[in-house]
Amino acid sequence: MAGAGGGGNDIQWCFSQVKGAVDDDVAEADIISTVEFNHSGELLATGDKGGRVVIFQQEQENKIQSLSRGEYNVYSTFQSHEPEFDYLKSLEIEEKINKIRWLPQKNAAQFLLSTNDKTIKLWKISERDKRPEGYNLKEEDGRYRDPSTVTTLRVPVFRPMDLMVEASPRRIFANAHTYHINSISINSDYETYLSADDLRINLWHLEITDRSFNIVDIKPANMEELTEVITAAEFHPNSCNTFVYSSSKGTIRLCDMRASALCDRHSKLFEEPEDPSNRSFFSEIISSISDVKFSHSGRYMMTRDYLSVKIWDLNMENRPVETYQVHEYLRSKLCSLYENDCIFDKFECCWNGSDSVVMTGSYNNFFRMFDRNTKRDITLEASRENNKPRTVLKPRKVCASGKRKKDEISVDSLDFNKKILHTAWHPKENIIAVATTNNLYIFQDKVN
Amino acid sequence: MLAKGVKRPRGEMEGGDPEPRDPSAAPASSLFNISMVKLHQSLRHVEPNLRHLVLVANTLRRMQDQMQREAGGPMAPDSPEAPSVGDDLLLSAMDSSISTILEDLGQVEVLSPARPEEEQPLAGASGARQEPARTSAPCLGPLELLSSASYLLEDSLEDIFEDIDTSMYDCDLWSPTSLSGFKAFSGAEDSDSKALAGAEDRLDMSDLDYLMDVLVGGHPPGAHRGRSIS
Repeated sequence: MAGAGGGGNDIQWCFSQVKGAVDDDVAEADIISTVEFNHSGELLATGDKGGRVVIFQQEQENKIQSLSRGEYNVYSTFQSHEPEFDYLKSLEIEEKINKIRWLPQKNAAQFLLSTNDKTIKLWKISERDKRPEGYNLKEEDGRYRDPSTVTTLRVPVFRPMDLMVEASPRRIFANAHTYHINSISINSDYETYLSADDLRINLWHLEITDRSFNIVDIKPANMEELTEVITAAEFHPNSCNTFVYSSSKGTIRLCDMRASALCDRHSKLFEEPEDPSNRSFFSEIISSISDVKFSHSGRYMMTRDYLSVKIWDLNMENRPVETYQVHEYLRSKLCSLYENDCIFDKFECCWNGSDSVVMTGSYNNFFRMFDRNTKRDITLEASRENNKPRTVLKPRKVCASGKRKKDEISVDSLDFNKKILHTAWHPKENIIAVATTNNLYIFQDKVN
Repeated sequence: MLAKGVKRPRGEMEGGDPEPRDPSAAPASSLFNISMVKLHQSLRHVEPNLRHLVLVANTLRRMQDQMQREAGGPMAPDSPEAPSVGDDLLLSAMDSSISTILEDLGQVEVLSPARPEEEQPLAGASGARQEPARTSAPCLGPLELLSSASYLLEDSLEDIFEDIDTSMYDCDLWSPTSLSGFKAFSGAEDSDSKALAGAEDRLDMSDLDYLMDVLVGGHPPGAHRGRSIS
């Protein structure tokens, strides 16, 4: 797969599609909260604050003839979670979808896990494009025929019908989390998965809903001593006994489930010592890890903290092997960002299919890509302006200080309400999905 | 109030001008106030965002350390001379606020204990930690709690029977063993009731009827003197 951007052999990103409402007035329920491609890349799922899941399917065009790869069109929409009321605590449980994870396809149907703060659900998405016709005792509209009027018998046959995509909940995994679920991750054994909240991680079997095993518990005996929470967790892509979880203090722990039933003792602890020259009141907050993702190879993992993306080699715990600055110009603005709570924004990150490029979001609807090989990076914008299909995106630049060049944006002009928290990269091709507040943008590399 | 004569740089709060590399040079008082406001806002939610809460609380503690260090001088970080009465009160108020806040969060689990706590794998007895069902006794170990759900049930049972007139039970007619049999009817899942389930069998139907009559007030307690209750 080619590089991040720029000239030469690097790919050029083009606008492909945008989904969602056009107007600036954003309905709360339409705020996109998660984006995920399935294992083949043919399906793209989004979850929103209203508890809905929308799945897009890529058209399987004749790729030799077409000028671009297939477009993504709505395949299925369903209400995954409803708002619930916890009567015991007198509070409403948000229906917002925090994460969606696809299961690998085993038969004609597709399966995904979706979760809100408290409950995980396994959904089956299946197609129906045939229906039986020619019953002997039933009319076509379903009314029963009087048996005495039947003079001949026929065998009902399947006839094609308009494609119907049905989503049905197959399992509901509830009542296992006291705190808010931030992550779900399917194990490489495809039988179990983990769910993580602020203080605990549970292991589930996909077939069993009435119990789960607690594998990590960092809740102190005395809540007064609480100083750290779990922020993300993921299973290793190849080793079914290995998983990692990140914390609000900027540490990542790798755990081996073979070592003990309760993985409170990590096998490895990844932490970069604090740079003393950059110390401030906000050091801990900006070191808090908002996302952790293994590379497809399983050799590396990537973490996102407030200002940077770090690549870690699983064999080296004391420092990352690569660090990329996402928006270093914000370092001098931390006080204001603390005041308006932006410093607590949880940005996600993702790998491309060949693990050569990583991507993450920023403010002003900007998103950044870093090519690990060429060490080049690019800033692009997700915007409806000047975006016709197949127009190449223009690289953007933020001017940190001093004289602003033409086409540059000064830090003070950045819109901190326009944040790109969720991005996804097609597992095989150069197609990316970028979520702004309520719109989903799809970009592709330029096909000649 | 905490001013040490440090003039607050104008650019700091508005985020306009380029600021000094080290934001800790900004006065802690304004950041302190902002942080306290955030903490209180967080607590308006029944279930606060724990990450936000913890990060703000840790930042406040950092500021507290900084202020204590500044007040006490570099030589005495642990026992700072009180900079002023106001500061002292502020710092201790903050400290107790944070403690109370976090302790209250411990109550969250009393109300709805998470089910996985009951399903610990048998091999994990050494590492498995159970939920304390009460925050006042946080150190109940795994062996003491079979499951937090039944602990709560047992608790509420006593409340139910609190206002029942137990004077009839003091009568000689009633031996202690039959009382324990009564408890078996409650259906509590603790080990005591399981042991007493056998006692239940010994009470035959006529005894049950008599019991009911007495409770309902049909027969005075002494009417069946001499009747043996096994």
